[in-house]
Amino acid sequence: MSTVTFAQATRVYPKSDRPAVDALDLHIGDGEFLVLVGPSGCGKSTSLRMLAGLEEVDSGAVLIGDRDVTDLPPKSRDIAMVFQNYALYPHMTVEANMGFALKLAGVGRAETARRVAEAAKILDLEDYLHRRPKALSGGQRQRVAMGRAIVRDPQVFLMDEPLSNLDAKLRVQTRTQIARLVQRLGTTTVYVTHDQVEAMTLGDRVAVLRDGVLQQCDAPGVLYDRPANVFVAGFIGSPAMNVVTGPAVEGGVRLGGAVLPVPRDQLARAAAGTGRVTVGFRPEDVQLVGPGAGVPVVVNVVEQLGSDAFLYTKLAAEHTDDVLHPSDVVVRTEPRTAPAQGDQLHITVREGRLHVFDPTTQRRVD
Amino acid sequence: MTVTAPPPVDDAGPDSRPAPVPPRPRRRHRVGRVTKAGPLTYVLLVLAALVSVFPLYWTAVAGSHTNAEIAATPPPFLPDADLFTNIGRAMDEAPIALALVNTVVVAGCITVGTVLCCTLAGFAFAKLRFRGNKVLLGLVIGTMMVPTQLAIIPLFLLIAELEWVNQLQAVVLPTLVTAFGVFFMRQYLSSALPDELLEAGRMDGASTTRIFWSIVVPVARPAMAVLAMLTFLTAWNDFFWPLIALTSDNPTVQVALAGLGGGYVPDRAVIMAGTLIGTLPILVVFTVLGRHIVGGIMQGAVKG
Repeated sequence: MSTVTFAQATRVYPKSDRPAVDALDLHIGDGEFLVLVGPSGCGKSTSLRMLAGLEEVDSGAVLIGDRDVTDLPPKSRDIAMVFQNYALYPHMTVEANMGFALKLAGVGRAETARRVAEAAKILDLEDYLHRRPKALSGGQRQRVAMGRAIVRDPQVFLMDEPLSNLDAKLRVQTRTQIARLVQRLGTTTVYVTHDQVEAMTLGDRVAVLRDGVLQQCDAPGVLYDRPANVFVAGFIGSPAMNVVTGPAVEGGVRLGGAVLPVPRDQLARAAAGTGRVTVGFRPEDVQLVGPGAGVPVVVNVVEQLGSDAFLYTKLAAEHTDDVLHPSDVVVRTEPRTAPAQGDQLHITVREGRLHVFDPTTQRRVD
Repeated sequence: MTVTAPPPVDDAGPDSRPAPVPPRPRRRHRVGRVTKAGPLTYVLLVLAALVSVFPLYWTAVAGSHTNAEIAATPPPFLPDADLFTNIGRAMDEAPIALALVNTVVVAGCITVGTVLCCTLAGFAFAKLRFRGNKVLLGLVIGTMMVPTQLAIIPLFLLIAELEWVNQLQAVVLPTLVTAFGVFFMRQYLSSALPDELLEAGRMDGASTTRIFWSIVVPVARPAMAVLAMLTFLTAWNDFFWPLIALTSDNPTVQVALAGLGGGYVPDRAVIMAGTLIGTLPILVVFTVLGRHIVGGIMQGAVKG
């Protein structure tokens, strides 16, 4: 077990003028489960591969523990990786796949067999040790890939979207298995995913990347409650946070002819210069109020999930002119008493649940 | 009690009941079309097989008659009893046994060498990142455009300088790598060998050499089998360069056959008998390995 540190680590692909990973600064604690998350092309996989030694580091450094591994080959880093498509050796049995690294490391045959058997037991693979990957189901292959990593007892586990090739149900099951396994082993883990649900459920901390730049790295709860900027606010949470920009007026922001109250000093700092303010609120923080109060919206689509209903609403047409991002405003309601399509509602945001952002810098204003 | 089925009623009849809807055989035929061969297919296949087998059959027929019998009109179409006499004469005229051993050695070395070198080079071109990768591959493929005949004289001078004339290495060495083989293995490995597999190997601590033997070779095996077959055939049948580099004292099969039946009137019976023994080993190899080789081709086609 060990810590991992990215110090201004940068990767620029040849023939590209924009860095894939731009001066990444990240410290991962001993035994911590860190999730790198972001949309495709954000540099999360590249960061992981830099740590793995599969990708060069153009400037900056990568440290495992106190050791600078920036220029070391993968085999000298004492790390194990689970690949998205598992990358099992097709001609080797499950046992040979899991024992290959140990064999190369010169671990004795008896010791290798013992460690493989132990890993197989943890992962419930004992009945499949003599099968080839071809004869395994997707979930079993995934477990073999995990097994190949854990038999080595490395300093750090790297996982590159290990669940993305599984079907939805198996993904949820395997997700909890991974969480339990990593908790039990206590090994430092860096996990890459584009799925924010995976990120939120697995990570001790979650690092959100965009265009190669780290946006925020915090515990899932903090990320959800206090997003550092508009991007993180929109990326974390499903359905996404409603983000709208409108003119700042006395006491708040004017949306759809009504004023959504914003605390005075936040409003003043956010609106400084532009006279406008960006606010965000989550679907579950919206309250329905009677006519005369709140922002008028019209229900476009009602999405029934059983436990909740989500209303996709538009700001009432005649008032949208001065509002940016006039996309759907999503509202969560009780499923049994959900309004119908075409209904006009008046909404307001629960006290203290409004996120305020500077429309120019897109940063959070507290 | 017997039940008599009502006689079929003509549709045109005045009081006809609605006729049962006839099955649609045409539709069914279409569905089965992909998997079931019709009679025409069989006829064509038999014809193709006959055309392919005939030269071999004719070799056996001609090799078992005397020269005069072959020249007769119409020629004989059934084998006769003179085969072993003719083979005996062929072996007296040329060192056929030595030639067979030589050819096995030469073709074997060339095959092993080509498959190994081409797999190594194909792997490097397909998966390793190095400066000039594409230019070098272009050069290798470019050599395919140089005709063999053009290289013969410089090659012979080189061999003579090394004092290898009439020695087997003179035939083996120049053909140890072929541009076609390099290109073939590169194409196969580019598509059949995922990068992640190599990366997994590197993460597991394998050196490039180790990755080659433990990961690349097993994945490349089907393509290697196909390349081995093609190379062995080419080497076995090669005539031009062995004829120049070797003499009739130490020939390969094809060179030995060229020396057969010489004289004012070529003795075709002896030539055919010799050709038959020169061809049989290949037939044996194919009969024994055919399943593997065809399996290899198929496996390659669907990427194992």
